[in-house]
Amino acid sequence: MDAKLKETILNPIFKGNPITVLVLGICSSLAVTVTLKGALVMALSVIVVTGISSLILSLLRKTIPGRVRIIVQLVVVAMMVILVDQILKSFEATYAIDKQLSVYIGLIITNCIVMGRIEAFALGNKPWPSFLDGVANGAGYGLILLVVAFFRELLGSGTLFGIDILNRFGYVPNNLVILPPFALILLGCIVWVQRSIQKDLQEK
Amino acid sequence: MEYLSLFTKSIFVDNMIFAYFLGMCSFLAVSKNVKTAAGLGLAVIFVLLVTLPINYLLNTYVLAPDALIKGVDLSFLSFIVFIAVIAAIVQVVEMVVEKFSPELYSSLGIFLPLIAVNCAILGGSLFMQQKDFLNIGEATVYSLGSGLGWFLAIVSLAAIREKMAYSNVPAALKGLGITFITVGLMGIAFMTFMGISL
Amino acid sequence: MNTNNNVYTVIYTTVIVVIVAALLAFVSQSLKGKQDANEKADTISQMLTSAQYGTKEEISGLGNAAVLEKYSQEIEKAFVIDLEGNVVRELEGNEVYSAKQLKRQNYNIKGGPNKTGEPELPVFVFKNGRTVVPIYGAGLWGPIWGYMSFETDLKTIGGAYFDHESETAGLGARIKDDPSFQAEFVGEVADFSSENVFDIVKGGAPKDAEGKSVVDNKIDAISGATMTSQGLDAAIDTWLAAYAKYFVNNAPKQEESCCGEETETCEGACEESNQEVEE
Repeated sequence: MDAKLKETILNPIFKGNPITVLVLGICSSLAVTVTLKGALVMALSVIVVTGISSLILSLLRKTIPGRVRIIVQLVVVAMMVILVDQILKSFEATYAIDKQLSVYIGLIITNCIVMGRIEAFALGNKPWPSFLDGVANGAGYGLILLVVAFFRELLGSGTLFGIDILNRFGYVPNNLVILPPFALILLGCIVWVQRSIQKDLQEK
Repeated sequence: MEYLSLFTKSIFVDNMIFAYFLGMCSFLAVSKNVKTAAGLGLAVIFVLLVTLPINYLLNTYVLAPDALIKGVDLSFLSFIVFIAVIAAIVQVVEMVVEKFSPELYSSLGIFLPLIAVNCAILGGSLFMQQKDFLNIGEATVYSLGSGLGWFLAIVSLAAIREKMAYSNVPAALKGLGITFITVGLMGIAFMTFMGISL
Repeated sequence: MNTNNNVYTVIYTTVIVVIVAALLAFVSQSLKGKQDANEKADTISQMLTSAQYGTKEEISGLGNAAVLEKYSQEIEKAFVIDLEGNVVRELEGNEVYSAKQLKRQNYNIKGGPNKTGEPELPVFVFKNGRTVVPIYGAGLWGPIWGYMSFETDLKTIGGAYFDHESETAGLGARIKDDPSFQAEFVGEVADFSSENVFDIVKGGAPKDAEGKSVVDNKIDAISGATMTSQGLDAAIDTWLAAYAKYFVNNAPKQEESCCGEETETCEGACEESNQEVEE
């Protein structure tokens, strides 16, 4: 694998993370980080949607009429999201999670990562790198989701993936952690840690 | 539901930003000064106010099971229909703003077309579908309320950020980090509205 | 190729939209059966939970096929009644009322512009003697619904399971996630003669030293989830009031004639007095 491709994959996961560096796709994501399971399904859904819609739009990039560009993108992305939603609803194992994620699956359509990467990358690159770029950005997004969900489930319910970790030691779950605002505070702390390590990202 | 209580509830309790994190991308990026923030806030109010009732009508009379033809359930198309309506309306708003207020247009920059992918707008329509309002009046009141709630949130955050420019924030926390934490604290403040019976 | 040409743009968009719509229609049609089966199994497992056949996780964990099989084994009879308590029709072949159908019936009970007909009120009687009825209403963010089971005396609550679409995790969502909240319902007695069939009270229902509530039809609201608790209270009141005639008409006759006689319907009602005698 050549260096450029490797960069395409690795950059979005750490250094150019879509959430903490590019500030994209925070919208729908934080509400699903109450449990690790929900976050994992959401992360995988986003990876599938960004990857495949980047691939499709990169294949179509030379044929798309300029004036309806955004609408064509939205149609393709919406199609992918509906497919993911329908598939999640169809399996016994994922039905309950789809129910829990409710409208947030639909909101992947407007997740800025998907549209942002299509605009910035897929429309100007060949299909294979575009696909990898989409997957990698989805993964970078998923990584942050999982980190946030890890702390929220551990501190908020005392469990991980529904398995009791802290409660057996007499831990009393902290309700504040489960409430939406805490996800933002946690995200602020993640940004703090990341920027303490990577000093070049600090804002003046 | 009473219109007034629905209105108040959608501004404060169901606040798009603090309760659902919807529209965060532009919320964080365009909240550096109050004037631009207010401009974007107005645009969001307007787009919500136009798209949500249209989507309500489409949802009730076309997409719902048995609505168009007996026995046909088109609800799987709702995401795509909603987003298409929103994208079209945003295109129109963009052209109008460009013509009548070039100043606002240039300051909103890329964020005007991005309203189409502003989660608050699509979120409004999806929540409308979930809450199943009784009539178009309720849907309109809800759209106005959630738009105002979004406006209120972005303007107050912008005001805080303007002041925060003079504060001594740890270097690594400057900008994005402290903004996340501020929004989180504002969210906690807004949670007090949850207990009010309306 | 000139991609900015009007004709090209229109044709291109049309083709894309047609392809996408056809693909989605195909997928949605071919998956619909599975989705409905999942929804049905979910609904049935909620009913089985409220009738105390196990916890929701245990029952759902069995898988769809086993859930349906358990239901058909355990169901005694299922039928639909009207507001007067008369049986309108029998429910055949594992037919249940999902949340979507309950929504429609909720409009029918409450009246108003969305009323589509007379309310159809499903009743499910299980072989363990419990009668399960659904409830439906609005929480803080979205709809809440659930199933409550009653013992053979048709007023003592045997169990309850609630579900919701989008209540606040950790607060309102506890109506679903917190088994101890659902357990509070067990043993309470609904009062079908009044308008407040059942109350979820903020600030605490009167309790005895052991923390058991002493007033029959009152339990504690969830702290921090006022609106969800109120919504649940209203949903229970509305639906149980609609069932009131059925429950009153079909309840076994007064207990005083019961105790002493060893009839099957009296077992539950007399347990306490029997114990006292033994002591």
